[in-house]
Amino acid sequence: MSDKSRPHRNALEIPTFLARWALGAAFIYTGLSKALHPVEFLKLVREYEMTQNHLLLNLIAAWLPWFEVFCGLLLILGIAVRGTALMLTLMLGLFTGLVFHRALAIHSAQDIAFCAIKFDCGCGTGEVFICHKLLENFVLILLSAWLLSGYGRKACVRYSLV
Amino acid sequence: MLELKKILLEAVLVTVVGAALAFTANVISSRGLALANDYFPGKPVTPESSAPATPSSAGMNTNLPASASDESVLLRIKQNGLQLVDVNQAVQLFHDPRSQQELILFVDARNDQEYHEGHIPAAYLFDNYHPEKYLADVMSAAQTAEKVVVYCHGGDCDDSVSAAITLRDAGIPNQKLFVYAGGITEWMADKLPVEIGERKSGQLQKVNK
Repeated sequence: MSDKSRPHRNALEIPTFLARWALGAAFIYTGLSKALHPVEFLKLVREYEMTQNHLLLNLIAAWLPWFEVFCGLLLILGIAVRGTALMLTLMLGLFTGLVFHRALAIHSAQDIAFCAIKFDCGCGTGEVFICHKLLENFVLILLSAWLLSGYGRKACVRYSLV
Repeated sequence: MLELKKILLEAVLVTVVGAALAFTANVISSRGLALANDYFPGKPVTPESSAPATPSSAGMNTNLPASASDESVLLRIKQNGLQLVDVNQAVQLFHDPRSQQELILFVDARNDQEYHEGHIPAAYLFDNYHPEKYLADVMSAAQTAEKVVVYCHGGDCDDSVSAAITLRDAGIPNQKLFVYAGGITEWMADKLPVEIGERKSGQLQKVNK
């Protein structure tokens, strides 16, 4: 790295470190809130009507919360940061699409303003207004995409596994 | 390019290890799901021409007041060939002398905590998400009963339907089974007696009339 780019890189280290911790903490919190109430989460997953297959439904509801906790821990500890960030970016993109699709279904069925739609999306934060949720997910996607940049290697147990 | 490959490989590694740990955690957790269980037995709800034009996931929009029983729940009851009772019929069955002899049985399909906070007096607890804990007791009582009335929260709750189908699959004849779709919410709103704590605890909730 050239000396010219070093100050710039150093300036980005701390914000990226904070982003990694914030994202990790958010995933641990939301993952645990689902993992501790798996039946409630299973019911919410069912409402998305992605599948009628009970085995698949159970697999999603059993896997997702703990996987989120796992990814959160990896980010906090600084292990496989970019691989984890890539998974989270993809997952967040998918969740956002699903939540938006459901909100649109409600919007077309009931005559209320889009941003007034409020429901428990199974995101681990209870009932939320859809526009708040979409904004929150957008920020989380930005944070996880930012972690792919390669900055924020400080205080990492093992930044890269491969 | 090499860097991208590394990130992808790392993501695959995270997914595989994460999935293994997640399923292990689910097995170890006392609250974990039994993967092979069908928690929503019976036919899935399919839209009918006579049904109102609302999505089958109606009720999820919590801006709006929930009706005593959701359309999608009524549809699931109908499509699974179960019999529905309204609050008047439920009250009639509750006051029927056969209730005292357990020939008419009320079954609460909510969880343990909700049951203890208040249930229809002498109702059996049957949390359909943990059938291994409750099925044996409920089955022995239901086999000798003439009528079995299953309920849950009411509104968009269809755990009563799932529980009724589980009982039917376990051998209780369909003609004995009834679903009270209004559930405990409607029951309490009508200021009907509610027992708290264990079954037959004799502790009735005070009702402000």
